[in-house]
Amino acid sequence: MATRFDPDKDSAPRLQSYDIPFPDESMVVLDGLNYIKAHVDGTLSYRWSCRMGICGSCGMMVNGTPKLTCNAFLRDYWPKPVIVEPLNNFPIIRDLVIDMEDFMHKLKSIKPWIIRKQEIPLGAGEHRQTTSQIDDFRQFSQCINCMLCYAACPVYGLNDEFLGPAAIALARRYNLDSRDQGLKERLPVIADSEGIWECSFVGECSVVCPKGVDPAKAIQQTKLDTTMRFLLPYGNREP
Amino acid sequence: MPAAWWTRKRHYLLYFVREFTALPMALWLLWFLVEIKRAGAGSAGYVPHSSTAFVIFSVICLLFALYHSVTFLSLAGVILHPKVMGRPVPPRLVVLAMFGQWAVASIVIGAVLIGFAR
Repeated sequence: MATRFDPDKDSAPRLQSYDIPFPDESMVVLDGLNYIKAHVDGTLSYRWSCRMGICGSCGMMVNGTPKLTCNAFLRDYWPKPVIVEPLNNFPIIRDLVIDMEDFMHKLKSIKPWIIRKQEIPLGAGEHRQTTSQIDDFRQFSQCINCMLCYAACPVYGLNDEFLGPAAIALARRYNLDSRDQGLKERLPVIADSEGIWECSFVGECSVVCPKGVDPAKAIQQTKLDTTMRFLLPYGNREP
Repeated sequence: MPAAWWTRKRHYLLYFVREFTALPMALWLLWFLVEIKRAGAGSAGYVPHSSTAFVIFSVICLLFALYHSVTFLSLAGVILHPKVMGRPVPPRLVVLAMFGQWAVASIVIGAVLIGFAR
């Protein structure tokens, strides 16, 4: 079953049943949607691109759990019906397509790029990092912005002003990068009441992440670091 | 979000129970403050509360407090990220250290309270 919703015709989303063949065990939910689109109903709308868990486009609710549909095997659900719905906690544009504008604004607000007070000239060579320095932020750099964590987060569901798991994890990724000097520019956003302090550590964001990023860890560690900066002498010194 | 969102998944339910356990603990501590105020008037007229209902309530609060403490200390491995000699300490070791400190603190506080009681 898949959610159908046409904002010009429907007052609310509804579920529609489809029967699809299940010829081999490697078939994923996205293959099922593609079959429906190609052979049953060409009007079904959904996002997808790479089919290999990299682009983060095909995130949907599969039987109530946020999943990348390219990574959700039908064999894990068969013979029960598979219910595919748009990601929770986001407005629906059409069928299985959600509106990501809110996330895009939040992503931009944490300035997810390397910030330097003074750029190092290209002629100075590479800005080298040790493996230990890379290990500090590597995990958080694996985020593919699929927004499964936002769909799993009840805090975001209850308060969409919350900055949210992926944005905070990405802010931490840059704050931990030895090349970055933008912590003070990001702090007003991430340490705001709608930032890290809104999170009550449900932890489901980390459970559903398809790339093994641990946003709950990023948020709690940022809470600790921010508190230590406030409490310790010279805590606000320049990094 | 529906009001019963926390019943949708086991993980949500466990989170809700974890947060809820703070409520009976807070109630017990309020009760404890009342008892301290009563005891403050002097030992002559003070009779400790020992009804069956209070003992049952205290045992339930103790179980909630233990659950809250175990979940809280178990999460320490996620939150704390100390480094020794430039290498991160494994989360499991952080959790073990927290439980160790908990055990030591409980023994010390217990010994002090028993010492005062005598």
